Amino acid sequence: MTISSTTLRRMIVVSLILCWEILPRFHVIPELFLPSLSSTLLAGWTDAGEYGHALMVTLYEVAVSMVFACGGGIIAGAVVGSLPRPRVLIMPMVSSLYAVPLVILYPVFTVWLGIGSESKIAFASIYGFLPTMLATAAGIQTIDPQLLIAARSMGATLTQRVTRVIIPAAIPTVLSGLRVGGALVIVGVVVSEMLISSAGIGYLISRYRTILDSAHVFAGVLLVLVLAVAFNAIIRFVERRAAIWQTGTHAGADAAGGDAPAILPATA
Amino acid sequence: MQPLANVTRLQPASRAGSIQIKNVGQVFKTSTQSVEALSDVSLDVKPGKFVVLVGPSGCGKSTLLMMLAGLRKQTSGTILINGAPIVAPDPDRIGVVFQEPSLFPWLTAEENVEFPLTLRGVDKAERRRKAQEALLLVGLDGFAKRHPHELSGGMKQRVSIARGLVQDPPVLLMDEPFAALDEQTRMTMGDELLRIWAATGKTVVFVTHSLTEAVYLADEVVVMSARPGRIVDHLTVTLPRPRTYEMLSGDAFGAMRDRIWRHIRKSA
Ligand SMILES: Nc1ncnc2c1ncn2[C@@H]1O[C@H](COP(=O)(O)OP(=O)(O)O)[C@@H](O)[C@H]1O
Ligand SMILES: [Mg+2]
Repeated sequence: MTISSTTLRRMIVVSLILCWEILPRFHVIPELFLPSLSSTLLAGWTDAGEYGHALMVTLYEVAVSMVFACGGGIIAGAVVGSLPRPRVLIMPMVSSLYAVPLVILYPVFTVWLGIGSESKIAFASIYGFLPTMLATAAGIQTIDPQLLIAARSMGATLTQRVTRVIIPAAIPTVLSGLRVGGALVIVGVVVSEMLISSAGIGYLISRYRTILDSAHVFAGVLLVLVLAVAFNAIIRFVERRAAIWQTGTHAGADAAGGDAPAILPATA
Repeated sequence: MQPLANVTRLQPASRAGSIQIKNVGQVFKTSTQSVEALSDVSLDVKPGKFVVLVGPSGCGKSTLLMMLAGLRKQTSGTILINGAPIVAPDPDRIGVVFQEPSLFPWLTAEENVEFPLTLRGVDKAERRRKAQEALLLVGLDGFAKRHPHELSGGMKQRVSIARGLVQDPPVLLMDEPFAALDEQTRMTMGDELLRIWAATGKTVVFVTHSLTEAVYLADEVVVMSARPGRIVDHLTVTLPRPRTYEMLSGDAFGAMRDRIWRHIRKSA
Protein backbone atom coordinates (compact mmCIF):
# COMPACT_ATOMS: atom_id res chain seq x y z
CA MET A 1 0.00 0.00 0.00
CA THR A 2 1.30 3.44 -0.84
CA ILE A 3 0.30 6.52 1.10
CA SER A 4 -0.37 9.71 -0.80
CA SER A 5 1.54 12.75 0.35
CA THR A 6 -1.70 14.45 1.38
CA THR A 7 -2.57 11.58 3.69
CA LEU A 8 0.96 11.59 5.02
CA ARG A 9 0.76 15.31 5.68
CA ARG A 10 -2.49 14.92 7.58
CA MET A 11 -1.01 12.09 9.61
CA ILE A 12 1.96 14.25 10.58
CA VAL A 13 -0.31 17.11 11.67
CA VAL A 14 -2.53 14.76 13.70
CA SER A 15 0.43 13.12 15.42
CA LEU A 16 1.93 16.53 16.25
CA ILE A 17 -1.38 17.55 17.83
CA LEU A 18 -1.47 14.28 19.76
CA CYS A 19 2.10 14.83 20.98
CA TRP A 20 1.15 18.34 22.08
CA GLU A 21 -1.57 16.83 24.23
CA ILE A 22 0.15 13.67 25.49
CA LEU A 23 3.74 14.74 26.19
CA PRO A 24 2.92 17.50 28.73
CA ARG A 25 0.09 15.42 30.21
CA PHE A 26 2.49 12.63 31.16
CA HIS A 27 5.10 15.16 32.31
CA VAL A 28 7.56 14.24 29.56
CA ILE A 29 7.71 17.99 29.01
CA PRO A 30 7.05 20.35 31.97
CA GLU A 31 3.79 22.29 31.61
CA LEU A 32 5.73 25.53 32.03
CA PHE A 33 7.61 24.88 28.75
CA LEU A 34 4.70 23.40 26.85
CA PRO A 35 1.22 23.35 28.35
CA SER A 36 -0.96 20.60 26.92
CA LEU A 37 -3.31 21.42 24.07
CA SER A 38 -6.36 21.03 26.30
CA SER A 39 -5.09 23.43 28.99
CA THR A 40 -4.11 25.88 26.23
CA LEU A 41 -7.60 25.72 24.75
CA LEU A 42 -9.13 26.00 28.19
CA ALA A 43 -7.09 29.12 28.97
CA GLY A 44 -8.20 30.63 25.69
CA TRP A 45 -11.79 29.70 26.35
CA THR A 46 -11.99 31.14 29.87
CA ASP A 47 -10.58 34.44 28.64
CA ALA A 48 -12.32 34.34 25.27
CA GLY A 49 -13.42 37.96 25.59
CA GLU A 50 -9.90 39.20 26.08
CA TYR A 51 -8.55 37.11 23.20
CA GLY A 52 -11.45 38.10 20.96
CA HIS A 53 -10.73 41.77 21.55
CA ALA A 54 -7.02 41.25 20.96
CA LEU A 55 -7.76 39.34 17.77
CA MET A 56 -9.92 42.19 16.46
CA VAL A 57 -7.11 44.67 17.10
CA THR A 58 -4.56 42.44 15.39
CA LEU A 59 -6.86 41.67 12.46
CA TYR A 60 -7.53 45.35 11.97
CA GLU A 61 -3.82 46.13 11.93
CA VAL A 62 -3.10 43.21 9.59
CA ALA A 63 -5.88 44.21 7.19
CA VAL A 64 -4.83 47.85 6.93
CA SER A 65 -1.14 46.95 6.61
CA MET A 66 -2.05 44.39 3.96
CA VAL A 67 -3.72 47.09 1.87
CA PHE A 68 -0.72 49.40 2.15
CA ALA A 69 1.91 46.70 1.68
CA CYS A 70 0.26 44.79 -1.14
CA GLY A 71 -1.45 47.67 -2.90
CA GLY A 72 1.56 49.94 -2.58
CA GLY A 73 3.95 47.13 -3.42
CA ILE A 74 2.10 46.21 -6.59
CA ILE A 75 1.81 49.81 -7.79
CA ALA A 76 5.41 50.67 -6.97
CA GLY A 77 6.64 47.38 -8.44
CA ALA A 78 4.69 47.98 -11.64
CA VAL A 79 6.19 51.44 -12.07
CA VAL A 80 9.71 50.35 -11.23
CA GLY A 81 9.44 47.22 -13.35
CA SER A 82 8.19 48.92 -16.47
CA LEU A 83 10.26 52.10 -16.53
CA PRO A 84 14.00 51.62 -16.92
CA ARG A 85 15.15 54.81 -15.14
CA PRO A 86 13.45 54.26 -11.79
CA ARG A 87 14.55 50.66 -12.03
CA VAL A 88 18.21 51.56 -12.31
CA LEU A 89 17.89 54.13 -9.52
CA ILE A 90 15.68 52.31 -7.06
CA MET A 91 16.14 48.56 -7.42
CA PRO A 92 19.65 48.27 -5.94
CA MET A 93 18.51 50.40 -3.00
CA VAL A 94 15.41 48.34 -2.38
CA SER A 95 17.29 45.06 -2.68
CA SER A 96 19.86 46.04 -0.08
CA LEU A 97 17.16 47.52 2.17
CA TYR A 98 15.53 44.10 2.03
CA ALA A 99 18.52 42.61 3.84
CA VAL A 100 18.34 45.13 6.72
CA PRO A 101 16.45 43.84 9.78
CA LEU A 102 13.78 46.51 9.57
CA VAL A 103 12.61 45.77 13.08
CA ILE A 104 15.36 48.12 14.32
CA LEU A 105 13.20 50.93 12.96
CA TYR A 106 10.18 49.99 15.06
CA PRO A 107 11.15 51.91 18.21
CA VAL A 108 11.51 55.00 16.00
CA PHE A 109 7.98 54.49 14.69
CA THR A 110 6.61 54.34 18.23
CA VAL A 111 8.30 57.66 18.93
CA TRP A 112 6.71 59.18 15.85
CA LEU A 113 3.32 57.50 15.92
CA GLY A 114 2.77 56.40 19.50
CA ILE A 115 2.27 52.85 20.79
CA GLY A 116 -1.20 52.41 19.27
CA SER A 117 -2.11 50.68 16.02
CA GLU A 118 -0.53 53.36 13.82
CA SER A 119 3.06 52.41 14.59
CA LYS A 120 2.28 48.69 13.99
CA ILE A 121 0.60 49.47 10.70
CA ALA A 122 3.50 51.63 9.58
CA PHE A 123 6.05 49.00 10.47
CA ALA A 124 4.17 45.99 9.06
CA SER A 125 3.31 47.88 5.86
CA ILE A 126 6.94 48.64 5.13
CA TYR A 127 7.93 45.14 6.13
CA GLY A 128 5.49 43.51 3.68
CA PHE A 129 5.87 46.18 1.01
CA LEU A 130 9.40 45.28 -0.05
CA PRO A 131 8.94 41.66 -1.17
CA THR A 132 5.65 42.51 -2.91
CA MET A 133 7.29 45.33 -4.78
CA LEU A 134 10.35 43.28 -5.73
CA ALA A 135 8.20 40.38 -6.96
CA THR A 136 5.94 42.64 -9.00
CA ALA A 137 8.88 44.44 -10.57
CA ALA A 138 10.49 41.10 -11.40
CA GLY A 139 7.20 39.77 -12.76
CA ILE A 140 6.86 42.67 -15.13
CA GLN A 141 10.47 42.61 -16.24
CA THR A 142 10.35 38.93 -17.10
CA ILE A 143 7.37 39.26 -19.43
CA ASP A 144 8.32 37.85 -22.83
CA PRO A 145 8.81 41.01 -24.95
CA GLN A 146 7.77 39.00 -27.98
CA LEU A 147 4.23 38.83 -26.54
CA LEU A 148 4.08 42.61 -26.47
CA ILE A 149 5.35 42.88 -30.03
CA ALA A 150 2.74 40.33 -31.13
CA ALA A 151 0.01 42.29 -29.34
CA ARG A 152 1.15 45.45 -31.06
CA SER A 153 1.10 43.74 -34.45
CA MET A 154 -2.55 42.94 -33.78
CA GLY A 155 -3.28 46.59 -33.14
CA ALA A 156 -3.32 46.63 -29.32
CA THR A 157 -3.33 50.10 -27.80
CA LEU A 158 -1.11 50.89 -24.81
CA THR A 159 -4.02 50.38 -22.41
CA GLN A 160 -4.88 47.07 -24.03
CA ARG A 161 -1.28 45.94 -23.78
CA VAL A 162 -1.34 46.69 -20.05
CA THR A 163 -4.69 45.08 -19.28
CA ARG A 164 -4.57 42.16 -21.68
CA VAL A 165 -0.88 41.23 -21.73
CA ILE A 166 1.16 42.74 -18.92
CA ILE A 167 -1.28 42.17 -16.06
CA PRO A 168 -2.20 38.55 -16.86
CA ALA A 169 1.43 37.72 -17.61
CA ALA A 170 2.61 39.19 -14.30
CA ILE A 171 -0.04 37.58 -12.11
CA PRO A 172 1.85 34.40 -11.08
CA THR A 173 4.92 36.30 -9.92
CA VAL A 174 2.83 38.95 -8.19
CA LEU A 175 0.89 36.25 -6.32
CA SER A 176 4.07 34.65 -5.06
CA GLY A 177 5.19 38.10 -3.92
CA LEU A 178 1.86 38.60 -2.12
CA ARG A 179 2.35 35.29 -0.36
CA VAL A 180 5.67 36.42 1.09
CA GLY A 181 4.58 40.04 1.61
CA GLY A 182 1.35 39.03 3.35
CA ALA A 183 3.14 36.61 5.65
CA LEU A 184 5.62 39.33 6.57
CA VAL A 185 2.74 41.71 7.35
CA ILE A 186 1.43 39.22 9.91
CA VAL A 187 4.91 38.78 11.34
CA GLY A 188 5.40 42.55 11.44
CA VAL A 189 2.14 43.20 13.30
CA VAL A 190 2.61 40.46 15.87
CA VAL A 191 6.28 41.22 16.52
CA SER A 192 5.64 44.93 16.96
CA GLU A 193 2.78 44.18 19.32
CA MET A 194 5.12 42.01 21.34
CA LEU A 195 7.77 44.71 21.53
CA ILE A 196 5.98 47.90 22.53
CA SER A 197 2.19 48.09 22.71
CA SER A 198 -0.96 47.96 24.77
CA ALA A 199 -3.25 45.73 22.70
CA GLY A 200 -3.37 42.84 20.24
CA ILE A 201 -2.42 39.20 20.32
CA GLY A 202 1.30 39.90 20.37
CA TYR A 203 0.75 42.12 23.39
CA LEU A 204 -1.19 39.35 25.20
CA ILE A 205 1.53 36.82 24.45
CA SER A 206 4.29 38.96 25.85
CA ARG A 207 2.23 40.09 28.88
CA TYR A 208 1.35 36.52 29.88
CA ARG A 209 4.96 35.51 29.31
CA THR A 210 6.14 38.00 31.94
CA ILE A 211 3.85 36.38 34.52
CA LEU A 212 4.90 32.87 33.35
CA ASP A 213 1.36 31.85 32.43
CA SER A 214 2.30 29.38 29.69
CA ALA A 215 -1.22 28.23 28.91
CA HIS A 216 -2.28 31.79 28.09
CA VAL A 217 0.92 32.40 26.11
CA PHE A 218 0.27 29.35 23.99
CA ALA A 219 -3.37 30.28 23.49
CA GLY A 220 -2.06 33.46 21.84
CA VAL A 221 0.50 31.54 19.82
CA LEU A 222 -2.25 29.22 18.61
CA LEU A 223 -4.31 32.21 17.45
CA VAL A 224 -1.39 33.59 15.44
CA LEU A 225 -0.89 30.15 13.94
CA VAL A 226 -4.54 30.03 12.90
CA LEU A 227 -4.22 33.50 11.40
CA ALA A 228 -1.19 32.50 9.33
CA VAL A 229 -2.79 29.27 8.15
CA ALA A 230 -5.99 31.10 7.19
CA PHE A 231 -3.99 33.65 5.20
CA ASN A 232 -2.16 30.88 3.42
CA ALA A 233 -5.45 29.17 2.58
CA ILE A 234 -6.79 32.38 1.04
CA ILE A 235 -3.68 32.84 -1.11
CA ARG A 236 -3.86 29.20 -2.19
CA PHE A 237 -7.47 29.66 -3.18
CA VAL A 238 -6.60 32.69 -5.30
CA GLU A 239 -3.68 30.84 -6.84
CA ARG A 240 -5.88 27.92 -7.80
CA ARG A 241 -8.32 30.36 -9.33
CA ALA A 242 -5.48 31.72 -11.40
CA ALA A 243 -3.97 28.26 -11.96
CA ILE A 244 -3.99 28.65 -15.70
CA TRP A 245 -1.77 31.68 -15.37
CA GLN A 246 0.88 29.60 -13.70
CA THR A 247 1.69 28.16 -17.12
CA GLY A 248 2.58 31.68 -18.15
CA THR A 249 5.99 31.28 -16.59
CA HIS A 250 6.86 28.70 -19.23
CA ALA A 251 6.07 31.06 -22.08
CA GLY A 252 8.59 31.00 -24.85
CA ALA A 253 10.81 28.52 -23.04
CA ASP A 254 10.81 26.23 -26.07
CA ALA A 255 11.70 28.92 -28.54
CA ALA A 256 14.99 28.35 -30.29
CA GLY A 257 17.44 31.20 -30.24
CA GLY A 258 17.21 32.69 -33.71
CA ASP A 259 18.95 35.70 -35.08
CA ALA A 260 16.06 38.04 -34.39
CA PRO A 261 16.95 40.73 -31.87
CA ALA A 262 15.31 39.98 -28.55
CA ILE A 263 13.88 43.42 -27.99
CA LEU A 264 12.89 45.91 -30.60
CA PRO A 265 12.19 49.23 -28.95
CA ALA A 266 8.73 50.57 -29.68
CA THR A 267 8.71 53.18 -32.37
CA ALA A 268 5.34 52.89 -34.05
CA MET B 1 -7.07 17.98 -44.79
CA GLN B 2 -10.15 20.18 -45.03
CA PRO B 3 -12.23 20.41 -48.18
CA LEU B 4 -11.57 23.68 -49.94
CA ALA B 5 -15.23 24.64 -50.09
CA ASN B 6 -15.13 25.17 -46.35
CA VAL B 7 -12.17 27.42 -46.32
CA THR B 8 -12.65 29.69 -49.30
CA ARG B 9 -15.22 31.69 -47.38
CA LEU B 10 -12.34 33.51 -45.70
CA GLN B 11 -11.33 35.12 -48.97
CA PRO B 12 -12.89 38.49 -49.77
CA ALA B 13 -13.87 39.34 -53.31
CA SER B 14 -11.22 42.05 -53.67
CA ARG B 15 -7.73 41.28 -54.89
CA ALA B 16 -6.05 43.66 -52.50
CA GLY B 17 -2.65 42.70 -51.22
CA SER B 18 -0.11 44.64 -53.24
CA ILE B 19 3.11 45.74 -51.57
CA GLN B 20 5.32 48.56 -52.81
CA ILE B 21 8.63 49.20 -51.12
CA LYS B 22 10.46 52.25 -52.48
CA ASN B 23 14.05 53.17 -51.57
CA VAL B 24 13.61 52.07 -47.99
CA GLY B 25 16.51 52.41 -45.58
CA GLN B 26 16.90 51.79 -41.87
CA VAL B 27 19.59 53.16 -39.62
CA PHE B 28 19.76 52.11 -35.98
CA LYS B 29 21.21 54.79 -33.76
CA THR B 30 22.61 53.86 -30.39
CA SER B 31 24.39 56.23 -28.04
CA THR B 32 27.80 55.30 -29.39
CA GLN B 33 27.27 54.45 -33.05
CA SER B 34 24.77 54.18 -35.84
CA VAL B 35 24.26 50.99 -37.77
CA GLU B 36 22.90 50.97 -41.30
CA ALA B 37 20.76 47.84 -41.36
CA LEU B 38 19.01 48.34 -44.70
CA SER B 39 20.02 50.46 -47.61
CA ASP B 40 17.89 51.53 -50.55
CA VAL B 41 15.59 48.52 -50.70
CA SER B 42 12.93 48.60 -53.41
CA LEU B 43 10.54 45.78 -54.12
CA ASP B 44 7.17 45.39 -55.78
CA VAL B 45 4.98 42.47 -54.81
CA LYS B 46 1.88 41.69 -56.85
CA PRO B 47 -1.28 40.62 -55.05
CA GLY B 48 -1.46 36.92 -54.28
CA LYS B 49 2.26 36.23 -54.73
CA PHE B 50 4.30 34.05 -52.42
CA VAL B 51 7.58 35.92 -51.92
CA VAL B 52 10.45 34.51 -49.90
CA LEU B 53 13.24 36.66 -48.43
CA VAL B 54 16.61 35.04 -47.87
CA GLY B 55 19.97 36.45 -46.88
CA PRO B 56 22.77 36.06 -44.37
CA SER B 57 21.95 36.39 -40.71
CA GLY B 58 21.72 40.01 -39.61
CA CYS B 59 21.10 41.40 -43.09
CA GLY B 60 17.87 43.08 -42.05
CA LYS B 61 15.13 40.61 -43.05
CA SER B 62 13.33 40.88 -39.73
CA THR B 63 13.79 44.64 -39.77
CA LEU B 64 12.16 44.83 -43.18
CA LEU B 65 9.23 42.71 -42.02
CA MET B 66 8.85 44.84 -38.90
CA MET B 67 8.55 47.90 -41.09
CA LEU B 68 6.03 46.20 -43.37
CA ALA B 69 4.02 45.30 -40.26
CA GLY B 70 4.02 48.89 -39.03
CA LEU B 71 5.98 47.87 -35.94
CA ARG B 72 8.97 50.02 -36.82
CA LYS B 73 9.36 53.18 -38.85
CA GLN B 74 11.78 53.22 -41.75
CA THR B 75 14.48 55.88 -41.66
CA SER B 76 13.92 56.70 -45.32
CA GLY B 77 11.72 55.66 -48.24
CA THR B 78 8.08 54.67 -48.47
CA ILE B 79 6.08 51.51 -47.98
CA LEU B 80 2.61 51.11 -49.47
CA ILE B 81 0.29 48.21 -48.80
CA ASN B 82 -2.93 48.07 -50.81
CA GLY B 83 -1.67 51.36 -52.23
CA ALA B 84 -1.76 53.16 -48.86
CA PRO B 85 1.19 53.97 -46.59
CA ILE B 86 1.68 51.92 -43.49
CA VAL B 87 2.19 54.02 -40.37
CA ALA B 88 1.02 51.72 -37.59
CA PRO B 89 0.11 48.04 -37.20
CA ASP B 90 -3.06 47.40 -39.17
CA PRO B 91 -4.40 43.87 -38.71
CA ASP B 92 -7.05 44.54 -41.34
CA ARG B 93 -4.33 44.77 -43.97
CA ILE B 94 -1.47 42.77 -42.49
CA GLY B 95 -1.24 39.60 -40.42
CA VAL B 96 2.08 38.76 -38.79
CA VAL B 97 3.45 35.36 -37.79
CA PHE B 98 6.69 35.36 -35.78
CA GLN B 99 9.38 32.74 -35.35
CA GLU B 100 8.20 32.10 -31.82
CA PRO B 101 4.48 31.36 -31.84
CA SER B 102 4.07 34.19 -29.26
CA LEU B 103 0.79 32.80 -27.97
CA PHE B 104 -0.65 34.08 -24.71
CA PRO B 105 -0.23 31.13 -22.34
CA TRP B 106 -3.25 32.06 -20.22
CA LEU B 107 -5.63 31.89 -23.18
CA THR B 108 -6.94 28.82 -25.02
CA ALA B 109 -6.07 28.26 -28.67
CA GLU B 110 -9.45 29.67 -29.63
CA GLU B 111 -9.10 32.74 -27.39
CA ASN B 112 -5.62 33.34 -28.77
CA VAL B 113 -7.01 33.34 -32.30
CA GLU B 114 -9.82 35.63 -31.19
CA PHE B 115 -7.39 38.07 -29.59
CA PRO B 116 -7.14 40.58 -32.46
CA LEU B 117 -10.93 40.60 -32.72
CA THR B 118 -11.30 41.03 -28.96
CA LEU B 119 -9.06 44.08 -29.16
CA ARG B 120 -11.47 45.68 -31.59
CA GLY B 121 -14.55 44.86 -29.56
CA VAL B 122 -16.06 42.34 -31.98
CA ASP B 123 -18.94 40.59 -30.24
CA LYS B 124 -18.44 37.15 -28.79
CA ALA B 125 -20.49 35.07 -31.23
CA GLU B 126 -18.83 36.65 -34.23
CA ARG B 127 -15.41 36.17 -32.65
CA ARG B 128 -16.08 32.50 -31.99
CA ARG B 129 -17.28 31.93 -35.53
CA LYS B 130 -14.25 33.56 -37.12
CA ALA B 131 -11.83 31.81 -34.78
CA GLN B 132 -13.47 28.47 -35.60
CA GLU B 133 -13.07 29.15 -39.30
CA ALA B 134 -9.43 30.10 -38.92
CA LEU B 135 -8.69 27.05 -36.76
CA LEU B 136 -10.42 24.85 -39.31
CA LEU B 137 -8.27 26.36 -42.00
CA VAL B 138 -5.06 25.39 -40.19
CA GLY B 139 -6.47 21.95 -39.32
CA LEU B 140 -6.81 22.52 -35.58
CA ASP B 141 -10.58 22.66 -35.16
CA GLY B 142 -10.45 19.87 -32.57
CA PHE B 143 -8.04 21.75 -30.33
CA ALA B 144 -9.89 25.00 -29.70
CA LYS B 145 -10.07 24.58 -25.92
CA ARG B 146 -6.43 23.61 -25.37
CA HIS B 147 -3.94 25.95 -23.82
CA PRO B 148 -0.62 26.55 -25.60
CA HIS B 149 1.35 24.33 -23.21
CA GLU B 150 -0.88 21.44 -24.24
CA LEU B 151 0.05 21.83 -27.91
CA SER B 152 3.13 20.69 -29.83
CA GLY B 153 5.48 23.21 -31.43
CA GLY B 154 3.92 22.72 -34.85
CA MET B 155 0.40 23.09 -33.48
CA LYS B 156 1.33 26.28 -31.65
CA GLN B 157 2.69 27.73 -34.86
CA ARG B 158 -0.57 26.78 -36.61
CA VAL B 159 -2.54 28.64 -33.94
CA SER B 160 -0.27 31.59 -34.55
CA ILE B 161 -0.98 31.38 -38.28
CA ALA B 162 -4.71 31.15 -37.59
CA ARG B 163 -4.40 34.28 -35.45
CA GLY B 164 -2.65 36.04 -38.32
CA LEU B 165 -5.45 35.00 -40.68
CA VAL B 166 -8.47 35.63 -38.47
CA GLN B 167 -9.13 39.16 -39.68
CA ASP B 168 -8.59 37.94 -43.22
CA PRO B 169 -5.84 40.43 -44.08
CA PRO B 170 -4.75 40.42 -47.71
CA VAL B 171 -1.07 40.30 -46.68
CA LEU B 172 0.55 37.75 -44.41
CA LEU B 173 4.10 38.37 -43.12
CA MET B 174 6.00 35.40 -41.75
CA ASP B 175 9.41 35.76 -40.08
CA GLU B 176 11.11 32.35 -40.02
CA PRO B 177 7.89 30.77 -38.76
CA PHE B 178 9.16 27.20 -38.99
CA ALA B 179 12.74 27.77 -37.81
CA ALA B 180 12.12 26.26 -34.38
CA LEU B 181 10.42 23.13 -35.75
CA ASP B 182 12.00 19.77 -36.55
CA GLU B 183 12.53 18.96 -40.21
CA GLN B 184 9.56 16.63 -40.66
CA THR B 185 7.12 19.04 -39.04
CA ARG B 186 8.66 21.77 -41.10
CA MET B 187 8.01 19.93 -44.38
CA THR B 188 4.38 19.24 -43.54
CA MET B 189 3.88 22.79 -42.31
CA GLY B 190 5.26 24.05 -45.62
CA ASP B 191 2.71 21.99 -47.53
CA GLU B 192 -0.05 23.14 -45.19
CA LEU B 193 0.93 26.73 -45.72
CA LEU B 194 0.87 26.33 -49.49
CA ARG B 195 -2.59 24.80 -49.22
CA ILE B 196 -3.85 27.70 -47.09
CA TRP B 197 -2.21 30.20 -49.42
CA ALA B 198 -3.83 28.55 -52.46
CA ALA B 199 -7.20 28.53 -50.72
CA THR B 200 -7.11 32.15 -49.58
CA GLY B 201 -5.09 33.83 -52.32
CA LYS B 202 -3.18 36.01 -49.89
CA THR B 203 0.07 37.78 -50.55
CA VAL B 204 2.71 36.11 -48.41
CA VAL B 205 6.12 37.50 -47.51
CA PHE B 206 8.09 34.71 -45.90
CA VAL B 207 11.57 34.85 -44.36
CA THR B 208 13.65 31.70 -44.06
CA HIS B 209 17.28 30.69 -43.85
CA SER B 210 16.57 27.37 -45.57
CA LEU B 211 17.28 27.67 -49.29
CA THR B 212 15.35 24.46 -49.99
CA GLU B 213 12.33 25.83 -48.19
CA ALA B 214 12.70 29.09 -50.09
CA VAL B 215 12.63 27.50 -53.54
CA TYR B 216 9.99 24.95 -52.55
CA LEU B 217 7.50 27.57 -51.34
CA ALA B 218 8.15 30.64 -53.45
CA ASP B 219 6.81 32.29 -56.58
CA GLU B 220 9.70 34.71 -56.20
CA VAL B 221 12.84 34.58 -54.11
CA VAL B 222 14.43 37.86 -53.03
CA VAL B 223 18.08 37.53 -52.02
CA MET B 224 19.62 40.13 -49.71
CA SER B 225 23.26 40.93 -49.02
CA ALA B 226 24.99 41.25 -45.67
CA ARG B 227 24.79 44.53 -43.77
CA PRO B 228 23.74 46.99 -44.93
CA GLY B 229 21.05 44.80 -46.44
CA ARG B 230 20.33 45.37 -50.11
CA ILE B 231 18.53 43.28 -52.67
CA VAL B 232 21.13 41.49 -54.76
CA ASP B 233 18.92 39.10 -56.69
CA HIS B 234 15.26 38.61 -57.40
CA LEU B 235 14.41 35.35 -59.14
CA THR B 236 11.16 33.81 -60.26
CA VAL B 237 10.66 30.16 -59.40
CA THR B 238 9.29 28.51 -62.51
CA LEU B 239 8.42 25.15 -60.96
CA PRO B 240 4.75 24.26 -61.47
CA ARG B 241 2.25 24.08 -58.62
CA PRO B 242 1.32 22.16 -56.62
CA ARG B 243 4.90 21.66 -55.53
CA THR B 244 5.84 18.08 -54.76
CA TYR B 245 8.54 16.40 -52.78
CA GLU B 246 9.99 14.89 -55.99
CA MET B 247 10.82 18.35 -57.32
CA LEU B 248 13.38 18.78 -54.56
CA SER B 249 15.79 16.44 -56.37
CA GLY B 250 15.18 17.87 -59.85
CA ASP B 251 17.78 19.81 -61.86
CA ALA B 252 15.71 23.00 -62.04
CA PHE B 253 15.36 23.02 -58.27
CA GLY B 254 19.07 22.48 -57.73
CA ALA B 255 20.03 25.20 -60.19
CA MET B 256 17.89 27.78 -58.41
CA ARG B 257 19.17 26.82 -55.01
CA ASP B 258 22.76 27.05 -56.25
CA ARG B 259 22.18 30.48 -57.69
CA ILE B 260 20.85 31.75 -54.38
CA TRP B 261 23.65 30.13 -52.45
CA ARG B 262 26.32 31.77 -54.63
CA HIS B 263 24.90 35.20 -53.78
CA ILE B 264 24.79 34.51 -50.10
CA ARG B 265 28.29 33.06 -50.00
CA LYS B 266 29.63 36.06 -51.87
CA SER B 267 28.11 38.58 -49.50
CA ALA B 268 28.56 36.82 -46.20
N1 LIG C 1 16.67 47.52 -32.23
C1 LIG C 1 17.87 47.47 -32.82
N2 LIG C 1 18.87 48.29 -32.42
C2 LIG C 1 20.08 48.23 -33.01
N3 LIG C 1 20.39 47.39 -34.01
C3 LIG C 1 19.45 46.55 -34.44
C4 LIG C 1 18.13 46.53 -33.87
N4 LIG C 1 17.40 45.58 -34.49
C5 LIG C 1 18.22 45.04 -35.41
N5 LIG C 1 19.44 45.61 -35.38
C6 LIG C 1 20.57 45.29 -36.26
O1 LIG C 1 20.12 45.36 -37.59
C7 LIG C 1 20.65 44.31 -38.35
C8 LIG C 1 19.53 43.53 -39.03
O2 LIG C 1 18.85 42.76 -38.04
P1 LIG C 1 17.66 41.78 -38.43
O3 LIG C 1 16.65 42.52 -39.20
O4 LIG C 1 17.21 41.11 -37.20
O5 LIG C 1 18.41 40.73 -39.38
P2 LIG C 1 17.90 39.32 -39.90
O6 LIG C 1 16.50 39.12 -39.51
O7 LIG C 1 18.11 39.39 -41.38
O8 LIG C 1 18.82 38.30 -39.32
C9 LIG C 1 21.48 43.46 -37.42
O9 LIG C 1 22.82 43.79 -37.61
C10 LIG C 1 21.03 43.86 -36.05
O10 LIG C 1 22.09 43.78 -35.15
MG1 LIG D 1 15.51 37.67 -38.31
